[in-house]
Amino acid sequence: MLKLDDLQATVGGEDNVTPILKGLSLEVPAGEVHAIMGPNGAGKSTLAYVLTGRDGYTVTSGTATLNGADLLAMEPEERAAAGLFLSFQYPVEIPGVPVMTFVRTAMNSQRKARGEAEISAPDFLRKAREVAAQLKIDTDMLKRPLNVGFSGGEKKRLEIFQMMMLEPKFLVLDETDSGLDIDALRIVADGVNAVRASDRGMLVITHYQRLLDHIRPDRVHVLAGGRIIASGGPELAERLEQEGYDGVLGEAA
Amino acid sequence: MSIPLRELIADPTPAELQLIARYGALKSNAARERSFEAFARTGLPHRRMEGWRWSDFRAARAVLGSPAQRERVNVLGGSDASVLHFSGSRLMGDGDLPKGVRAFRKDDAQAFGGAEDSPLGALTAALSDRPNTLMIEVTETPDRPIHAIFDGVGETSFARIVILVRPGVRLNWMESHRGGAGLSGALVEFTLQAGAAVERTVWQIGTREEMQAVTASVTLDAQAEFRQFVLAFGAGRTRIETRLVHQGEGSRARLNAGYLAGNGMHVDLTSHVRHGAPGCETRQVTKGAVRKGGKGVFQGKFHVPRIAQKTDADMQHNALLLEDGAEVDARPELEIYADDVACAHGNTCGGLDAAGLFYMRQRGIPLEEARAILTEAHIAQAFDDMTDKGQQSALLSMAGVWLRAVGS
Repeated sequence: MLKLDDLQATVGGEDNVTPILKGLSLEVPAGEVHAIMGPNGAGKSTLAYVLTGRDGYTVTSGTATLNGADLLAMEPEERAAAGLFLSFQYPVEIPGVPVMTFVRTAMNSQRKARGEAEISAPDFLRKAREVAAQLKIDTDMLKRPLNVGFSGGEKKRLEIFQMMMLEPKFLVLDETDSGLDIDALRIVADGVNAVRASDRGMLVITHYQRLLDHIRPDRVHVLAGGRIIASGGPELAERLEQEGYDGVLGEAA
Repeated sequence: MSIPLRELIADPTPAELQLIARYGALKSNAARERSFEAFARTGLPHRRMEGWRWSDFRAARAVLGSPAQRERVNVLGGSDASVLHFSGSRLMGDGDLPKGVRAFRKDDAQAFGGAEDSPLGALTAALSDRPNTLMIEVTETPDRPIHAIFDGVGETSFARIVILVRPGVRLNWMESHRGGAGLSGALVEFTLQAGAAVERTVWQIGTREEMQAVTASVTLDAQAEFRQFVLAFGAGRTRIETRLVHQGEGSRARLNAGYLAGNGMHVDLTSHVRHGAPGCETRQVTKGAVRKGGKGVFQGKFHVPRIAQKTDADMQHNALLLEDGAEVDARPELEIYADDVACAHGNTCGGLDAAGLFYMRQRGIPLEEARAILTEAHIAQAFDDMTDKGQQSALLSMAGVWLRAVGS
């Protein structure tokens, strides 16, 4: 499904280029959930942005493919249409654009790019109501401008709402647990678990093990210094929690 | 008249000679003479004049040409509005106005009070002939909106409307300025008596070959309310000027505008608000977006003399430069002599939010559409609190079409 091979990337413009990813290799097969853990500055968010094609991040070598398609050759919107979804660590406020309008525009843009018909208004509404109920989102919130004046927890919940509406093939969750209280965390995790499927892969980026109690990963990778330095089962996350990054990193070094 | 016509303007340009000739062909009267003399003091406004630095009408065209006629669309008014149509040579539709609205044409319309402050308003007052000068008195709230359509033809077209709204009467008033002449001038003068309320919705469109001047003067008696919403697409030169005076205590004004200037287009939104009585309120929100080769100008002034205690005024102008090579010039001004007032202003100019664009693209929305959506949302804020939601969506759909047109 998602395959990264010796990925190297830098951040910044001409004068201050900083290498962040330094030969990252990773494979997430369909149906699996992999966690990326690592200390601050390890390159976790950079990985999310490199995968989704944000300006300012330059891939200097290596490959990244989703179901064999070269992600790095695509525009951000093409990657989205190919099924890649990023739940942002800091979701952006879009003034003047109601949530429903935004999600419907996104969904139909993706469908158009894939050569599919647009979703009908009644079908869209029905689906939105179902998903909102599942995530305990008040439908009034869906009429408000996207993320404007929303709390941190509301924003994260809305990221999962969009994910469940758009039904991506592969999702990247970037620090989705930050800003969530324990009830909201459970709701969000339930949403993510509900879309686990044999043809869908996930990459869960997190600093803490807390989220992984709710979204159980198949594999855990430790990212440090721009590379995967350790991989293992869920027990690796527990070890990190107990021994800290220093303990595990020390051993790897 | 003692001064020969040709000597009215010092060293006239060919375009100014055309205007002098037009004036000379009209039947003169004292009011017309006063207006033309006010115009003649400066001639066509140019960059060395206060308030015209970014909107040079004199240098723009040596000669006023006759632009090719084009197909015209109707955006405002819906199906129920009464239409006053200035075709460029004459006015039609003034015989079919709703109950409570009386219209009459006059040879000797009153002199334009703001002539000294507004050269293009003065020119319009001077050169609007009888078929294009209308006085309107509104004595009771009409059952439908009134929509004035201004079309130009040939070298110059001028039209003038003087509107008196009697106490407590409400009026839904619309204007479409569709250009068509080398230079079009429209002058609309509103007097709102105590407790009267007017919502004025304006749509302006033109081509690079044309110049347009839309001047409005507004006088508000006590407790009167004037709400203005302008959507302007500009032309070769466009000046949309509003001069408003709060004359009675507790009057309220909203002067909002959105402007969209494409390549080769110029649009200037200028306003002057004088708080001439205590306890009045002014709210102004102007949102602009300019493409490469376009130019937007915002000049706003609130004048608050000592008498105007308890003034509550806020002026905001925010412009988006959509591409490199777009130009926006802004001059917000507060002149305050009263000490117990709340007056604020804000002025920003920048590009679209890069984080917002990336977020939208990550959801699958193509870059151009993401830009259009963000820009449309920006412009829409100027029209948020329009009362007439039908006109609001008509204006916003025009903005949406412009934003999605290739190479506009």
